[in-house]
Amino acid sequence: MGGPARVLVVWCPEWPVPPDPDAARTFEQVVSLVEELCPKVEVLWPGACAIGARGPARYFGGEEALAGKIIEAVTGGGFACQAGIADGLFAAQLAARAAAPVTVVPPGQAREFLAPYPVGVLDTADLPRPDSEGMTELLPRLGVVTLGDLARLPASQAVNRFGVAGGIAHRLARGLDPRPLAARPPSADLSVSTEFDPPAPLAEPVVFAAKALAERMHAGLAARGLACVRVRVHVISEDGQEHARLWRHDGLLSALAVAERVRWQLAGWRPDTPAERRPGEAGHQDEVQPGGITLLSLIPDQVVRAYGRQLGLWGDAVVSDRVARAALRVQAMLGHSAVTRPVPAGGRGPAEQAALIPFGDTRDPERPPDRPWPGRIPAPVPATVCQDPLPARVTDAGGAPVTVTGRARLSAPPARMSASGGPWLAITAWAGPWPVAERWWRPQAARRRARFQLVTEDGAAWLAAVQDGRWQIEARYD
Amino acid sequence: MASNSAVTLTYIEFMFDSVKVKAGITRVTRLSARGNAADVLAVGNPPAGNPWASYRWGGNPWAGSLAAGNPPAGALPVLPALGELLPGGLARGSVVAAGRWGLLCLALAAGASVAGAWCAVAGVPQLGVSAAAAVGLDPARMLLVADPGTAWPQVVASLLDGCELVLLRPPGHAPAQVRRRVEAVLRRCGGVLVVAGDWDGAQARLLVTRQEWAGIEAGHGRLRARRVLVVADGRGAAARPRTQWLWLPGPDGSVGLADQAVTEMQDTG
Repeated sequence: MGGPARVLVVWCPEWPVPPDPDAARTFEQVVSLVEELCPKVEVLWPGACAIGARGPARYFGGEEALAGKIIEAVTGGGFACQAGIADGLFAAQLAARAAAPVTVVPPGQAREFLAPYPVGVLDTADLPRPDSEGMTELLPRLGVVTLGDLARLPASQAVNRFGVAGGIAHRLARGLDPRPLAARPPSADLSVSTEFDPPAPLAEPVVFAAKALAERMHAGLAARGLACVRVRVHVISEDGQEHARLWRHDGLLSALAVAERVRWQLAGWRPDTPAERRPGEAGHQDEVQPGGITLLSLIPDQVVRAYGRQLGLWGDAVVSDRVARAALRVQAMLGHSAVTRPVPAGGRGPAEQAALIPFGDTRDPERPPDRPWPGRIPAPVPATVCQDPLPARVTDAGGAPVTVTGRARLSAPPARMSASGGPWLAITAWAGPWPVAERWWRPQAARRRARFQLVTEDGAAWLAAVQDGRWQIEARYD
Repeated sequence: MASNSAVTLTYIEFMFDSVKVKAGITRVTRLSARGNAADVLAVGNPPAGNPWASYRWGGNPWAGSLAAGNPPAGALPVLPALGELLPGGLARGSVVAAGRWGLLCLALAAGASVAGAWCAVAGVPQLGVSAAAAVGLDPARMLLVADPGTAWPQVVASLLDGCELVLLRPPGHAPAQVRRRVEAVLRRCGGVLVVAGDWDGAQARLLVTRQEWAGIEAGHGRLRARRVLVVADGRGAAARPRTQWLWLPGPDGSVGLADQAVTEMQDTG
């Protein structure tokens, strides 16, 4: 057997992250653009997809030509994208993220291409959990800074120290496939499917059923000592339309991950049926409504040998069955993202200090909480944090609006305030301005504001901010 | 210029204060660690073991130190500062009304969370998670349903199946029939419902009647602590109204008895 197959990855930079309901829906357009040129597009996540490059490259006369065609088609559809071709998915993903619009790593040179990358990029490969915890932080301290350093180590040492994750990381660093593919397709039919009778008109019950279905599929695979890295989701609707997509994930696809991908697929296929819609709300649609969904099948398309996974005796994420059942039942009623768990996140404002992760998902917050965050609001923190800041008006004793200069100088002491058009209240005590200039190095995310604490005559305390000359209420100390 | 220097001073003072923020956060960790030895604030590392299996109200070594006096077997513990107001803790199967949404609701739920119970918060999209953590609620054992919508009675019933304490802000006044249905679920599950709002027939009712902020003046200082007068009354054994001055929140975000904390405030301030 030769090395890994040639893979082309199309990556759209600055694509919104999946919790954004539009992310999956609009990415479907990109996938269909790519699909017009080559079949068997594997979606990695909304924002990136992969295709086997060998066949299409022959047809289009070379890998550069193929990548050029695809970029032309996707850019023509109005989406910015980059492409990378390399041996194996991991290298191709990194190549797609390289600066040039098209990066082609010649066959057999993935190892050289990967060598200068820091080991931190292994985090994107989603290695098996318990072993990989802290691996990318620990490796540099052991003197293994780049993937090249890692590849030079004997494989046995990587496995000795980091278990399965170490072995996979070592294979990736050498430019190999993370797991040797199970050589032949399993003889038994491992696919699972469920019928909906009556047809399910909304995405939510289908996604809910997909969770249970995926668990059944996993049970079937596990009984044969297999696990699945690519799954084909096949949906048939009442009026006979069919829709199938390949979903690929190098970290094994858990039941929840499969359900999430079914949600993305439905959101993309039926753009007018947002997954968040409440049952009972009538959908108003201009386009021809595809009928309800009658059949959902999950077909494990690429299977690998399962190495098993040992749950930690202590400290592993444990949500008792009783809590999980309750949360799932509410999710079935209101939608997947309706039940959340708070995760500490970093930030200066009160709204930034917690991220809400839908129950069942694991995601690390974008802003790490364990950084100093100088200038964050001091304790005690407010109990009421406005989701969207309320517009407010603050005036001085003479009735003129209070302004703050660029050097954080106040035009006059604030005397009265009114929150979102409410009654005017006299300000009895105040503190500020506390200027904050955040992310000035990224123009889209840059923010300059001056924060104030205000106490009004009714005893309420407010966290207010001035940004671009406008007053906002960010939070209330209830 | 006097006004100019005042502004600069405030700013510098604030820079120093940011160290204190950290002190407040470490306290959170300590509090939650009390309830479950291996537990840390980070949700990436939620409590060890099955909290339902390992947790026994009577056998929990912390339950006694936590509440003022051991809560009876049929009750969830409350924070020590609330012990005077709710001598028996939160009776299982009961409804506690807390007037309006605020830190008091979170403080009521905190005792159970410290002791290892799961808490669900429904109908409060504006919940300040950091403030909840500061009073003692463990974010790792928290479910949030920001908008239960019109189906809130069913949502609450489902949540009560999994969580021992549900904090609810009902979207409007609950009709008697709905209330009775929810109360029946409560009695069956043995959970506690803390309502941020009014609830006719609540077993206990707590209300913040007066509040005053400390540490802030016109252009000086910052919000440091709030002294509130809480009045508690209820039905049956709890019928006699009780009042208590509390720090809600105290200087580090936690809840304390106001009389004890006065000296501390002078030390730090």
